[in-house]
Amino acid sequence: MDVLDLARLQFGLTAGLHFLFVVLTLGMAPVVAVLNTRWVLSGNPLYERMTRFWGQLYVINYALGIVTGLVMEFQFGLSWSGLSHYAGDVFGAPLAVETMTAFFLESTFLGLWIFGWHRLPRRAHLACIWAVTLTAYASAFWIMVANSFLQNPAGAAVEGDRLVLHDLGALLTNETLVFSFPHVVGAGLTTGAFVLMGASAYHLRRGTEEREFFVRSLRTGVWLAAVGLLVAVGFGFAQFGAVPEGKFDGGPEAAGLGFMILIGQLLLLVVLLFLLPAIRWVPRWRRLHRLLVAMTPLPFVAAILGWIAREMGRHPWMIRDRLTVADAMSPGLTSGMVTASLVGFATVLGLLAVVDYALIARVVRRGPGAVALGAPPPPEPSERPEPALNH
Amino acid sequence: MDVVWLVFLGVLLAGYFALEGFDLGVGMLLPVLGRSRERRDAMVAAIAPFVLANEVWLVAAAGALFGAFPVLEGEVLFELYPLVVGMLLAWILRDAGLWFRRRADAPAWRGLWDRVIALGSLVLSFGWGLVLYAIATGFDGSLWHPVGLLLGVLVTLAFAYHGRTFLAGRVPEFAGPGSLPMSAVLAALPVAAVLVAAVPELRDHAAPGDTLGPLTLLVLPFVPVMIGVQVWVWRTFRPGSDRIPSFF
Repeated sequence: MDVLDLARLQFGLTAGLHFLFVVLTLGMAPVVAVLNTRWVLSGNPLYERMTRFWGQLYVINYALGIVTGLVMEFQFGLSWSGLSHYAGDVFGAPLAVETMTAFFLESTFLGLWIFGWHRLPRRAHLACIWAVTLTAYASAFWIMVANSFLQNPAGAAVEGDRLVLHDLGALLTNETLVFSFPHVVGAGLTTGAFVLMGASAYHLRRGTEEREFFVRSLRTGVWLAAVGLLVAVGFGFAQFGAVPEGKFDGGPEAAGLGFMILIGQLLLLVVLLFLLPAIRWVPRWRRLHRLLVAMTPLPFVAAILGWIAREMGRHPWMIRDRLTVADAMSPGLTSGMVTASLVGFATVLGLLAVVDYALIARVVRRGPGAVALGAPPPPEPSERPEPALNH
Repeated sequence: MDVVWLVFLGVLLAGYFALEGFDLGVGMLLPVLGRSRERRDAMVAAIAPFVLANEVWLVAAAGALFGAFPVLEGEVLFELYPLVVGMLLAWILRDAGLWFRRRADAPAWRGLWDRVIALGSLVLSFGWGLVLYAIATGFDGSLWHPVGLLLGVLVTLAFAYHGRTFLAGRVPEFAGPGSLPMSAVLAALPVAAVLVAAVPELRDHAAPGDTLGPLTLLVLPFVPVMIGVQVWVWRTFRPGSDRIPSFF
């Protein structure tokens, strides 16, 4: 592989891994926010336990979203300084808005939510998770603005040997953005829904003591999957109007795209024609639970295939019809530099991702009884019962 | 308009050093001050509510650099290539250590991630000295110049001192002298000096008004929110006797 292939591989691995964690974040954040709201409004401890359990899964997943995102943000400068040189006046703007108005707030509010249990008033604490959800979606929007600009450089004009921002409105109403952003949102909700269903089915199949907890979670998952799939599939097909001719003529990414569509339609059929009509009985059918557990990875697979099709389908362009990937690469980048950093990033991020998924699986397996997030303070020493006499 | 973005960049970077400086300082002091698991737990619990709110200052600074000084963003990061790669690895390992250390019960698990946190904090702090030296000298010469290495040691010591004063004001076991605002100024001093010297270069490379105009319009309304939520963090997590179990 030459230096360009290595640099593409490095960015692809980082961004692809980032997307796998972000897509679940987008699905879980509103679920946790709604559960937290129901707890605060009803005072029902069941909803508190659901908020804590699904919240813990959400924040452990979030950790890898952060670290992969950090590496990605800096890779633009490391490997692709030609992009900022040629189009930074346009492409840099949405990324600056994302980091300052969305991620800055998202991370700060998330810290307040995680560490603010038993410290903040309940409603203030609830406001934090809604702020996290809102800014997570704002963040996704601005990233999709930047990505859509690469697909179709709307709102920019060539001036000399560089692109300048010509029309902010056109950048924000890019035809490759208006359907792809809701498509990603739908994919996120679907992914969250299948994690809810898969984890709940795992416990129901084993005859859990937490029956009500997981029956409710499973039904929430079915409803969310129906909404998410309708949004994802609907806006998915709507996107094809804006796909440049010949983008998906053959090649592995076209096959991947076909497979993604297959998964999307299969899941849509299963959810709309079977799970949703049978939602009353779904918690009781143990055989079905095994299937639901097995289906959990499918939305992740579909999401990553769609991402690969969109990103690799743009090749050889970094910015369609304006800048090639080869011209976007940092001048002076050598194979040795990319290989060394690729080995470093791939090893560390790969290991952390495996550990993170193992920890998520552990949270699911141990169930709602062993959640660290939002754990109450231990009773005051004076409140403890007197210890038995020493022997 | 470029003045606004000079201020944004300056405040975000200086803020990162003043705030994340004590997180990194406490991290690298783990093996020094935290000889028992209970002491290490207390040290990490002290910084835990602040880490997410502190490290984003650098993410936002990098975003501001990309949006308002895009050409410099590409050139500076590429010139610093091996340092940025090493510091990123140190940063993400430090973060992972914080998120993972309490997720399993075995003492060896927590001990492993505590060592990762300490090493990551140390490498990241030291790297900042090298980065500041390279920027101050306009990338003229080796990234590993002896003066740069010396600056690395100084930044590391400043962060360690900053972490120590943070602990002194928050954890009874580590009570001691030192003023947190003073150590914050000390931690931010190196980056502030380099930024002041870099103002002419930054102004020469600012994005045109066509970019900065809309960008300012989009970001400025959020600045009070950004400040407000940071203040809220400090009000919420005031020092005091605290028995709520930490998530990190």
